[in-house]
Amino acid sequence: MILFLKNKAAISYVLTCFLASCTSTTVDEFRQGETGIESDESVVILGRRQASDFETKSDFVECVGKGMSQGENAISVVPEREFVDAMFPWFEPRTAPLRATDLEQLLAEDVVAQKMNEFGIRYMVWVEGFTETTGRTGSISCTVGPGGGGCFGFGTWEDDANFDARVWDVNSLRNVGTINADATGQSYLPALVVPIPLIARVETNACNRLAAQLKDFVNGE
Amino acid sequence: MKIQFKKQLQTMKPLTISLISCFLISCGVSNLVIQGSFPTPNINKIPLSVAVYYDDALRAFSYMEYSETGREEINIESGESHIRLFNAVLPAMFEEVIEVEGFDDPNVQGVDAVFAPVIEEFQLALPEKTKLEVYEVWIKYNMRILNPSGVSLADWVVTSYGKTPTETFLSVEDGINDAAIVALRDLASSFSLNFTRVPEVQDWLSTL
Repeated sequence: MILFLKNKAAISYVLTCFLASCTSTTVDEFRQGETGIESDESVVILGRRQASDFETKSDFVECVGKGMSQGENAISVVPEREFVDAMFPWFEPRTAPLRATDLEQLLAEDVVAQKMNEFGIRYMVWVEGFTETTGRTGSISCTVGPGGGGCFGFGTWEDDANFDARVWDVNSLRNVGTINADATGQSYLPALVVPIPLIARVETNACNRLAAQLKDFVNGE
Repeated sequence: MKIQFKKQLQTMKPLTISLISCFLISCGVSNLVIQGSFPTPNINKIPLSVAVYYDDALRAFSYMEYSETGREEINIESGESHIRLFNAVLPAMFEEVIEVEGFDDPNVQGVDAVFAPVIEEFQLALPEKTKLEVYEVWIKYNMRILNPSGVSLADWVVTSYGKTPTETFLSVEDGINDAAIVALRDLASSFSLNFTRVPEVQDWLSTL
């Protein structure tokens, strides 16, 4: 019995290590200015969607916002959809400002400046990136017969989630920094009667690390 | 034995009919009415009184998508959604907006101009045909501004584009609807922000 419990713990440990080692995340920060935020100020996180070949997923943007607005030193985050609708038509894919210097021209519109003040926006964070799947190998075949069915085989692929977050200070109308989160991971799908997906959670890891780093960055830490 | 078989046949009949009906319905044209709401633009109003005229072609605008074998596949009705969009956008753009039934409407005489949009082209790209993981919609409009007598003051083309995000597990109908709503938002943004930048509109505004 003791031997079984010891084995169980060992198996759990090996499995945890195996699963944890499936994803590696690197975060780079490039600071270009001083930051800090008051309790009555807020941040809006927006996804870049002007490229024709890809667009930043709104789920990822939402995940980063959720991460920043929770835990220690939480920051007030305005939801992307609410902000974009309230600012319509200034933040649509074809009309959104591309550079921090464009903010000056945008805020010259009194209706825009007034709405920004109502939201209490201090920082605007532009998130841009996507997850790419490469190196798909292996094969799985499934059969169904009168006596039942099953799958047999092995598949593997690599996921790479690469996201940039550019932080614009609405007060100084400057880009105050860029944070990059890059998470890579190998996913496995062994099938012995039943397929068992061992998925590398690259996007979740990239989101969590980016949110934590952004929170520290905005708080000036 | 014969009676039992007859009874079985009678019970099978409604089931067979319903199965054949389901099969035939699934082979027919599916009808999609574009549904969605649009935010009111947050822009400075132009001090003009404008009448808007939606002709029957715009009100009843629909686009038929054909399969690769030439079979009618999806009928997309977007006339009503265009009217909802313009009704949300125009009151935010101009000081006063009224809807008229035609140029013989007596209300036309009291306005600065009549706005009469026309849909010239509607294009659709489905993932099954493009092999991309997105639904895409392009719409080409002819925006017309006329004086109360019906003489053209400005006439320009606006194209709008909308697509769904990649890797969405949407039904074909939901995918087209979402892409069309993005295209309509794109139209609203470019129309409302670029209206005073159109050379013909600038010329007309300078005469007021």
